[in-house]
Amino acid sequence: MFRIASVVGGMLRLKGFNLANWGTLFLLTPPLIFLSLLFAAPLFQVIWTSFFAPDFTLQYYERIGQNPIYGHIFWNTAKVSALTTISCLILGYPTAYFLSTLRSTTRQLLLVFVVLPFLLSILIRNYAWILLLQTNGGVNRILLSLGLISKPLELMYNETGVLIGMTNVLLPYMIFPLLSAFMAIPSDVKEASASLGANSTKTFLRVTLPMSLPGISAGCLLVFIVSLGYFVTPALLGGPRQMMISNIIEFHVRQVLNWPFAFALANVLLMGTLIWYFLYIKIIPKQRS
Amino acid sequence: MTTLLANKRLPKIALATFSAVILLFMAMPVVAVVPMSFSSSLSFELFPSAPSFTQYRQLFSSSDWIVSFLFSIRIAFGVMICATTLGTFAALGLSRLRGSWKPFLQGFLLAPYIVPTIVYAVAAYSVFSRFGLVGNALGITLAHTVLALPVVIVLVSSALSTLDPSLEEASNSLGAGTITTFMRITLPQIRLAVFVSALFSFHLSFDEVVVSLFLSGSNILPLPVKIWSSISYETTPILPAISMVIILVSLCLLTPALLLGAKGDSTGPKL
Repeated sequence: MFRIASVVGGMLRLKGFNLANWGTLFLLTPPLIFLSLLFAAPLFQVIWTSFFAPDFTLQYYERIGQNPIYGHIFWNTAKVSALTTISCLILGYPTAYFLSTLRSTTRQLLLVFVVLPFLLSILIRNYAWILLLQTNGGVNRILLSLGLISKPLELMYNETGVLIGMTNVLLPYMIFPLLSAFMAIPSDVKEASASLGANSTKTFLRVTLPMSLPGISAGCLLVFIVSLGYFVTPALLGGPRQMMISNIIEFHVRQVLNWPFAFALANVLLMGTLIWYFLYIKIIPKQRS
Repeated sequence: MTTLLANKRLPKIALATFSAVILLFMAMPVVAVVPMSFSSSLSFELFPSAPSFTQYRQLFSSSDWIVSFLFSIRIAFGVMICATTLGTFAALGLSRLRGSWKPFLQGFLLAPYIVPTIVYAVAAYSVFSRFGLVGNALGITLAHTVLALPVVIVLVSSALSTLDPSLEEASNSLGAGTITTFMRITLPQIRLAVFVSALFSFHLSFDEVVVSLFLSGSNILPLPVKIWSSISYETTPILPAISMVIILVSLCLLTPALLLGAKGDSTGPKL
């Protein structure tokens, strides 16, 4: 018994695991067992079932490939995610830049506007958008009373609604990395550029913009990754044509009850997300611990 | 001279205006709910024509909504205890770990944050349903704990990374055992991060909709699921008032969390 323990211990030590420290083992075992049983095992089961029914088969993946509906949904997911990313960048970049130019206390105060909505219920924010965007909703009423439009605009159950809702929810994912990129630019670099004769436009284009590129790539990848798996907004603010992968997965699990097929779709979404995530890790080395 | 000045200031003013509009855009849905909760009409009114507490009265006299609310609170409480305990264990373990295992284990412990929620929801649904964990508080509590773990681990880890290891060494060399050192030296220094992550994990669970939707069955619905299923069938307005209740609960949890997070060394939520 002792020999087995020492052999296992020796093997583990070889890999750099200091078994002498039993405290570490005691601390890590409960969370690791918990996640193995309740997280890793269910995920493994999803991946396994999508390939084995019970023999190895690719039939579910072939079905995804053959039916144009799924092609349309994948395309739509990518398109909505890309458009959300672009609109978050366009809206978030100037805002983050503005916040970075403020004094620390003012910035902290204004950041409340970014942080609080970010943390408040996504469901409620989307519900509020229904109130604002529906035919007799807030936006249409205001535009009508101002005489800017003669009949209500169709702002939801279409792509516009999904994009407004998703941009609103995901903007903080863009603003935070951009803000930290702007804050990381030492102010004397800008001063040096100015003292060497560059005007503010030139300083922005030659100094600030290039130095904020890490923030841009981090923010864009983050928004894109989160968008890919988005469920609530397309379901509430989109129409049937705005279905994204998440929504079709839910449909197959809860309505059609075709689980292995839903698992194959879930696996596609998982792999798609992971590919982008590894790109994110590669591009943003050691930004967060 | 004046045109020169205007030329210099104009971009700044434009930038500030644009940013103000964006910040308002972000806060808008939360703000819009406030007047609606005092209205008695389903269509949007910025200033309710007949402001009243009808929605709130209806809400507090409806046992349905109260049952859902309490059910969600119960689940969130369980998640808070499980996730904070397990997450703190994990963060402490990771901080003591050296060598090639560390990034691997760290990646595994933080993985629930990367996997799309819908994928985990489907996975948990298919496995939990075999063990009678669908349609009751236990299943949702367990699944939410999985989702909350990475948040706790990140917050507590970042607090641990600022500790001075020589304090623990000093405690050990003065004859204190591992447990005494932990209780007297380590814990007091990470207390704040543990408390903040408890608030965040409570909030995460209280508000979570996707996993809850799959695991809630048809008996008692957690509050977000009940809202979800009422949105399409709303005939008399009551959801704005419920939204207000949720926003108030969230604010009670998040305000101390953010203030303490800013006060402590961790730079607010790293979500």
